[in-house]
Amino acid sequence: MDLRDRLARVAAARTVLRAAEERTTSKRSEPTKGADPLPFVPSERRLDLKGLGLELVGLGDPDPLTLAHLGLRGEPPRRWEDIVFLDTETTGLSGGTGTYVFLLGTAWIEDGELVLRQHLLRDLAGEHAFVRAIHAELDRFRACASYNGKAFDLPILRTRVVLAMRGELGVDESHLDLLHPARRLWKDRFGSTTLRQLEASVLDEPRGNDDVAGALIPERYFHWLRTGDDRIIEPVLRHNSRDVISLVRIADRVARAVIDARGGRAPDHAPAALALARVFDRNGERDAAYRCYESAYVEGDAAVRARASLPFARALERRGDVERAIAMLETLLALRAGPPSWREQAESRLRRLMRVRWRRHELATAS
Amino acid sequence: MRTGVRSTGRAVSFPGRTSLEQILDAFERDAEFMSLVTRWERLPAKPPRYAPFPAWLDPRIVRRLRARGIEALYSHQAEALETARAGRHTVVVTPTASGKTLCYNLPVLDAIAKDPSARALYIFPTKALSQDQLSELVRESAEMDIELRTYTYDGDTSPAVRAAIRSAGHVVITNPDMLHTGILPHHTKWVRLFENLRYVVLDELHTYRGVFGSNVANVLRRLRRICAFYGSRPVFICTSATIANPEELARRHIEDDVVLIGESGAPRGEKALAFVNPPVVNSGLGVRRSALVTGRDIAATLLASGVQTIAFARSRVETELLLTYLRSRFPQPQWPSDLIRGYRGGYLPSERRAIERGLRDGSVRGVVSTNALELGIDIGALQAAVLIGYPGTVASTWQQMGRAGRREGFSAAFLVATSSPTDQYVVQHPEYVLERSPEAGLVNPDNLHVLVQHLKCAAFEIPFEPRERFGTEDTPGVLAYLDEKGILHEAGGKYHWADQVFPAEGMSLRTGANDNVVIVDTTGPAARVPGAEHRDGRARVIGEVDRFAAQILLHEQAIYLHESKQFQVERLDWENAKAYVREVKVDYYTQAELAVRVRVTDEFEARPAAVRGFDRAHGEVLVSSLTSIYKKLTMYTGENVGWGRIHLPELELQTTSFWAVLQERAVAGWPKERVELAVAGLGTLLHGLAPLFLMCDPHDLGLAVEVRSPHTQRPTIFLFDMTPGGVGFSERLFRATDALLERAREHLAACACDSGCPSCVGPARALGQDVKAAAAELLA
Repeated sequence: MDLRDRLARVAAARTVLRAAEERTTSKRSEPTKGADPLPFVPSERRLDLKGLGLELVGLGDPDPLTLAHLGLRGEPPRRWEDIVFLDTETTGLSGGTGTYVFLLGTAWIEDGELVLRQHLLRDLAGEHAFVRAIHAELDRFRACASYNGKAFDLPILRTRVVLAMRGELGVDESHLDLLHPARRLWKDRFGSTTLRQLEASVLDEPRGNDDVAGALIPERYFHWLRTGDDRIIEPVLRHNSRDVISLVRIADRVARAVIDARGGRAPDHAPAALALARVFDRNGERDAAYRCYESAYVEGDAAVRARASLPFARALERRGDVERAIAMLETLLALRAGPPSWREQAESRLRRLMRVRWRRHELATAS
Repeated sequence: MRTGVRSTGRAVSFPGRTSLEQILDAFERDAEFMSLVTRWERLPAKPPRYAPFPAWLDPRIVRRLRARGIEALYSHQAEALETARAGRHTVVVTPTASGKTLCYNLPVLDAIAKDPSARALYIFPTKALSQDQLSELVRESAEMDIELRTYTYDGDTSPAVRAAIRSAGHVVITNPDMLHTGILPHHTKWVRLFENLRYVVLDELHTYRGVFGSNVANVLRRLRRICAFYGSRPVFICTSATIANPEELARRHIEDDVVLIGESGAPRGEKALAFVNPPVVNSGLGVRRSALVTGRDIAATLLASGVQTIAFARSRVETELLLTYLRSRFPQPQWPSDLIRGYRGGYLPSERRAIERGLRDGSVRGVVSTNALELGIDIGALQAAVLIGYPGTVASTWQQMGRAGRREGFSAAFLVATSSPTDQYVVQHPEYVLERSPEAGLVNPDNLHVLVQHLKCAAFEIPFEPRERFGTEDTPGVLAYLDEKGILHEAGGKYHWADQVFPAEGMSLRTGANDNVVIVDTTGPAARVPGAEHRDGRARVIGEVDRFAAQILLHEQAIYLHESKQFQVERLDWENAKAYVREVKVDYYTQAELAVRVRVTDEFEARPAAVRGFDRAHGEVLVSSLTSIYKKLTMYTGENVGWGRIHLPELELQTTSFWAVLQERAVAGWPKERVELAVAGLGTLLHGLAPLFLMCDPHDLGLAVEVRSPHTQRPTIFLFDMTPGGVGFSERLFRATDALLERAREHLAACACDSGCPSCVGPARALGQDVKAAAAELLA
């Protein structure tokens, strides 16, 4: 039996191969190699910030506390211009060394505009050069912003950089991953926080039916590689640029929610207010934290109230309002508000508050 | 200050040498017992052979060894040290407890002492072994004052510490499975390791045989490919139990020259070995008393006298049965509940480690194990081993016997034969175990099924260069084929991975088939509905088996044993590979019957009979198997008390087979029925004895007997590889046919039964009274 027949037998025994066999295998076209100076860049666009509805991003300078809300880990960049917004399209979702980045969409602020650029790998043979090009592109920036990039895009990019040039990615040291703040603000309200969901719910611009489903993108890419038919890849390019723009706009919405809360307008959705309050608390922004806790406590249902009550009691205590904290916890305990673990903590907090009250009383009577 | 009383933390003290001697004396005086013993062997103690520390060995290492009271190395350790340092791949073949760990730890420690950037990768076949090695290395290096960070990296490693291990671990301890799915496909995270990889340790090399070995050989190809990419060329240090072909096996794995170190310089304690054949209960039928019962009695006697004893059973089911037996013999509250523990591969890591700890500190006095413990885990002062059933290979036999008395001192081991043909052969010919091993470790890394899977993984890891070779198959041909199928993508002469799926995922190294059937226990009030295994966490996964085993073990209504509990299969979801079971208490077990058909697709080689009347051949075949009914047999007597139908699709297996064709002249003038009977009996006999040549489990080899094979037009006995594509069994059987037939003749002549029994040609009652005589005539 010759090798091909034997391989076909092996294939018959393997579902993976079988699935692949059913796929159309059409004729391959020669990759087009342009002579332009940026061989991997098929598109570059400049967009008006106001036209995108941006109110904060790209305007003025970002303050580090707001960037922390945007999910920043690492040293904060001083200017919006230092941040590159990015989104990759890859040949698989599993990661590992066999997953290629074939499309990198980047956006940054320049001269009061948003510049959008895409790098596309037209031929796997040029992957190393492609990776060097996108590495150079990213290296121009001090920080990056992504949607779930910490878990997905950056590890894959790092892998590519190691393989192609044994290098490292500096831009990853300061990373704003918007997935986390988006979850805090909107998860409870909308159930899911995919970029798709947020476009529909937060930006009020649901994506149309012409959008490619993310899961189909790898297959489309290989199909395009084999056929060279640009109609196959164009929807992917559109999908990616749309993702990058949404990323910038979502960042703006998150920043706005933060600034609003700081200015006294906490989100009216209680779980979001509570989540924001915790971040303010962590960052030492006590006033903003207090207002958000209060908003969460007042607006929230029983469960949110219980969750908000303990940090809110602490915030009240810090502001000297021990009586209100005691009254709140006593009421909640009387109402049997939370689960046993909460009750334990609430009781211990209450005892502590009672001691504070007693000490104050002693001080007052002693003087 | 030292006090007179030493606190060992042990609750019980062990009897010393005299009491084990006394117990053995009692055994020897017991005429009834001795009538079962076919050989009572005393292996004398063997003195050590030493060699000085090499002058170049780092002084901190020498200092530490001296502090431990080690003034010199055993000769084989010194040899291994020199060859490894010279950059030559080394395979050390030594018995259990011969200090083999130093053979690789010393070169590694020395390399890291001299160059802190040096790295080593330790590959152990099981996780349990890794744990043991880890604690040893950590202790050693700390006391040597050598900065050495060692970690295990396996399925149990928490994600939090993985990053640290990747960049900082000097020695990474792992298993082939983790290397395959967790390390190689993510090699960019391990740049430090691969750039500086000096040594790869392959412990227990002989376990890397058959389908597992064929897979591991390919994982090692991938490993070397990645090392080459990062510019390192590690030296392999392998250790192996005694087999006929350690050097060849190592060469097939490393694909380079190796140096064999075969002489152990380690001393050996005195050891008593007993080969026990349970009594014939029915001489007419050749039925013997169960090995489990005989073995249980020996183990119970030893345990009752305070001898820390390990009992090995051959299968999960037997382990569970034995555990049940022994626990009922030492009931609570007189005896502590964890006096006797079960131990096998399927246990959770925490369960396994608790047992290992209990063994070391003495709170666990008896262990019932499958071969998970046969490997070199150091569990301290076990004094006796009881092997219920021949473990299938001479190598395993010595390793299991070596569990008792690993350290110097007196120990005892009992091998209790079952009525299986191999067992009966071994117990009646103990020299097969005691003399030079005839068994070879076989692998077939170029099995196309196996090779293609790994070639895909390799392409995922690093694109293939046009001139690159992976194994001896026509690599460019395979690459082109995969390109055409859209799994790879050729660009600029290189082949890139072009599929979304992660090829290593869901691809097991241990079984040929990729998809195992998962066993879900739905016992518990909240999970009455099948499919509700997530609700309340009540239902849990208790194990998994491959598809071929599943059709026998997990058909609906089957009784499945786990942790000495019985479970009944309530529903088998064949498509989704899930079996839903519920705990039951019944006094029977189930046994499914299998119908097998063989179609020859390619004959590789054929040879006419020389002496006996069988033509022989080997080649590629397509085997179909179907289970249609099962029997219910009572637990203790094996009586048939009912049956049922099984509704499962036919399974197909494309594999390699050996076949023997009965010549016309050998049965000239025989009635047709007698020919049928003779071939059926002989098939059973050959299938039973073939593992003696193959180092395989009888289940790894399939048997089909066809009275008139469509391929040969003659009565034909097929012995085929249960692994898709085969792992080399059929060719070896083809070459060793005459030796196999000779063993069969010997065995049949020595078998105590009158007219056929399960130990030879199969029970005459089921086949026909003439079966033994007819088969014997074919062999004469």
